[in-house]
Amino acid sequence: MSALEVEHLTKRFGSLVAVHDISLTVEPGELRAVIGPNGAGKTTLFNLVSGFFAPSAGSILFDGADITGVPAHRRVGLGMARTFQITEIFPELTVFENIRIVAEVAAGYRLRPWLNRSEKAELRGRIDETLALAALSGKADRVVGELAHGDQRVAEIAMALALKPNLLLLDEPTAGMGDQETYEITQLIRRLHKAGKLTIILIEHDMRVVFHLADRITVLDQGRLLAEGTPQEIAANAAVQTAYLGQAA
Amino acid sequence: MTADQRKHLAVLAAIWAALLFAPYWMPFFGGYTALGSRVLVLGLGAMSVNFLLGFTGVLSFGHAAWFGLGAYACGLTLKHIALSTPLGLLAGTLVGGVAGALLGALLVRRRGIYFAMVTIAFGQVFYYIAFQWLSLTGGDDGLRGFARQPLDFGLFQIDLLHNDIYFYYFVLFCFAVAVGLMAFILGSPFGRTMIAIRENERRARFLGIPVELHIWIAFALSCFFMAFAGSLYALVNNFADPRMLHYSLSGDFVIMAVMGGMRTFWGPLLGAIVFVVLQDYISSVTVNWMSFIGLLIVLIVLFFPRGFLGMLRPRRTA
Amino acid sequence: MLELIFFNITNGLIVGAFYALMAIGLSLILNLSGVINFAHGGFLVIGGYLAYVLTPYIGFWGALIVSPFLTAIIGVAVEWLLIRRLYGRDPLYSLLLTFGLAFIIEDGTRQIWGANGLPVSVPPALMSALSSRFFFITGYRMFMVATVAIVVVLLFVLLRHTRVGVRIRAGTLDLETVAALGINVRALRSFNFAVGIFLAGLAGVLAGGQLGLEPTMGDGLLMPSFIAIIVGGVGSLTGTLVGGLLIGVAAGLTAVVFPSASDAVMYVIMAIVLLVRPRGLFGEEGMLT
Repeated sequence: MSALEVEHLTKRFGSLVAVHDISLTVEPGELRAVIGPNGAGKTTLFNLVSGFFAPSAGSILFDGADITGVPAHRRVGLGMARTFQITEIFPELTVFENIRIVAEVAAGYRLRPWLNRSEKAELRGRIDETLALAALSGKADRVVGELAHGDQRVAEIAMALALKPNLLLLDEPTAGMGDQETYEITQLIRRLHKAGKLTIILIEHDMRVVFHLADRITVLDQGRLLAEGTPQEIAANAAVQTAYLGQAA
Repeated sequence: MTADQRKHLAVLAAIWAALLFAPYWMPFFGGYTALGSRVLVLGLGAMSVNFLLGFTGVLSFGHAAWFGLGAYACGLTLKHIALSTPLGLLAGTLVGGVAGALLGALLVRRRGIYFAMVTIAFGQVFYYIAFQWLSLTGGDDGLRGFARQPLDFGLFQIDLLHNDIYFYYFVLFCFAVAVGLMAFILGSPFGRTMIAIRENERRARFLGIPVELHIWIAFALSCFFMAFAGSLYALVNNFADPRMLHYSLSGDFVIMAVMGGMRTFWGPLLGAIVFVVLQDYISSVTVNWMSFIGLLIVLIVLFFPRGFLGMLRPRRTA
Repeated sequence: MLELIFFNITNGLIVGAFYALMAIGLSLILNLSGVINFAHGGFLVIGGYLAYVLTPYIGFWGALIVSPFLTAIIGVAVEWLLIRRLYGRDPLYSLLLTFGLAFIIEDGTRQIWGANGLPVSVPPALMSALSSRFFFITGYRMFMVATVAIVVVLLFVLLRHTRVGVRIRAGTLDLETVAALGINVRALRSFNFAVGIFLAGLAGVLAGGQLGLEPTMGDGLLMPSFIAIIVGGVGSLTGTLVGGLLIGVAAGLTAVVFPSASDAVMYVIMAIVLLVRPRGLFGEEGMLT
């Protein structure tokens, strides 16, 4: 069974077709990169998969179940987590508090007036584990809004991880970062990918990151699926060369 | 125990000690016990407004309605139904809180400035009713003819009516219970979802928090606290009048919260102390006290938007 | 009976026109600047008292024109000095600021002109009844409604057919884009604020002629204006106009049957509208939520 199957997905905004008849399949544990020029429909595709928009046509299967009509917050409960192009965090809270809120909501405690000892301990374990995984343990008590941009992105990824997802959608995690920060995020994603069964879909502009990390690459152009394949295949693809890589070079 | 926690405990101890001994130190600064009771009750009102404003990020500019409803319900209970102070408080809290909770369900999808406007307008409904329903409320003259009753413990009684100090301690006890409950809620997983909504509603929604439901619960809780404060206020004055429901008072509560620091738990109490004492003083020395209060509000908005405590504690909350 | 109903409908229309005049000014400022102007009633009072001061020198007609302009100038000064600093901050702050300003204006007028009512003298020609049968329709009431109608039409023409008007409307929908087009948003907001305050000042002169002046007179008109905006739908000036007229006429009609409930009816209308059409009669999805 595939982790994610997207079938003939289309999204129209008025006369504009942002996503046009896209089908793709992502296997469990795969790291898939989605690339394409600006306006190719990458983020729209993410919004469809994560349930922010309802598709105009087509269907989405997650772990074999049709989730096309499932609202965004329920998809979270099914094991899907995402980050945003613009960092979405709780800026005035500490890293620890940010992750604690996520962990509590994910554990179904959001309406609870209190937690018992074992629930607290379990939660604490989950938070510490997430902090360690994202290498944020040393910054747990820092206010997120005051962290460097790169660390904010890492914190956001950590928040997504605290949801214990099966599928992680990362929307341009290295946007606006310097080389050092990009390297660190790349290392983090690689660790997550190596560590377990987590399926990751990544929208990315930085080709070094994409070719370094991805198992397979999907190329979108003007809302259509242009090509799909291993990094080697994509690098050799003539259509991709002209549509995208040629431009970037 | 970390240094932060120690400091936190020390501050808490200082606050409660100051409140506990207020009847003994206030006279040295020209204060009097009845003023102390009034400040505590209005402070509780400001903290209730801030429960919603500072910790959920939702501005209600009509909260005086629940305060006043509590006051009237408490007064009417004492006057017509039962000569019992606890029952009066209970009735006031329930009536104001339930009314607020019901109305909140109607408003909760509105946001920001629109929410503020709708709460002002709906709050005025109750002002209008209190003003018009002469036979029940006494209209513009206010509701009279009731008084706080002694607390009856069977073996002994505590006279709240004639002994200001006993009454102050009764108010302090009620204040402590309400504030303790508030702190407890804010420290709970539910309380943290309130803060999450304040910080980033979009993100909170995507985490799977049903934002409208949580805002409604926070709104309803804040209405109950507010109605409780209003009931106490009826006891402080042995009187209720329509101005207790007017949006001007809602505005006063908001300004107390902002002045003291709306991102802090204790800020609104400090704001209430400064505001009430200043108002008490200014209105005793000049007929133009409205101008001074207006000027104070303008200055705070322009120069101290984070409030007194907000300035002491830069960018740190919860 | 028929005459009574007619009387009350006419009365309701006049009152409604009045609410609409206030509410449209408020609405303009709310839509473009995101400010709930609590001091709007205060500016109405200023307009009225300025007319009182000016009438002996330039007559009622002169005051009718000059006093709203002066009020608008005061309004712009306030916007420049105080309110402008709060754009882009939490709307809480501008709300509180104008709340404080309303205190200062009310107290200030009381200090200068006293707490007791003062008349604005109206030309005798306007005060006579139009016919003995409809004794209640004085020329002044007709004149008020006509003035409101003319001003509202002029305003809508301004917003639809002049460059600055189109910019104001565009800014209401999407201020960022308007700013990105290189339009001076600050100046646009100041102008828009001035127009809103002008309407408040005009309402003050008109009200002064009918009811006389009191420092607290703005307070009673503020709440109906809020309700007119909510009923009509935040973001829509047409809605505000309709909302004002609607609650005025409804109050007038209720007065026929149940006089003491005539003020309550606007709250009932607001509650029904919010239940049935939460965005207001003319409000659209996505506007200023």
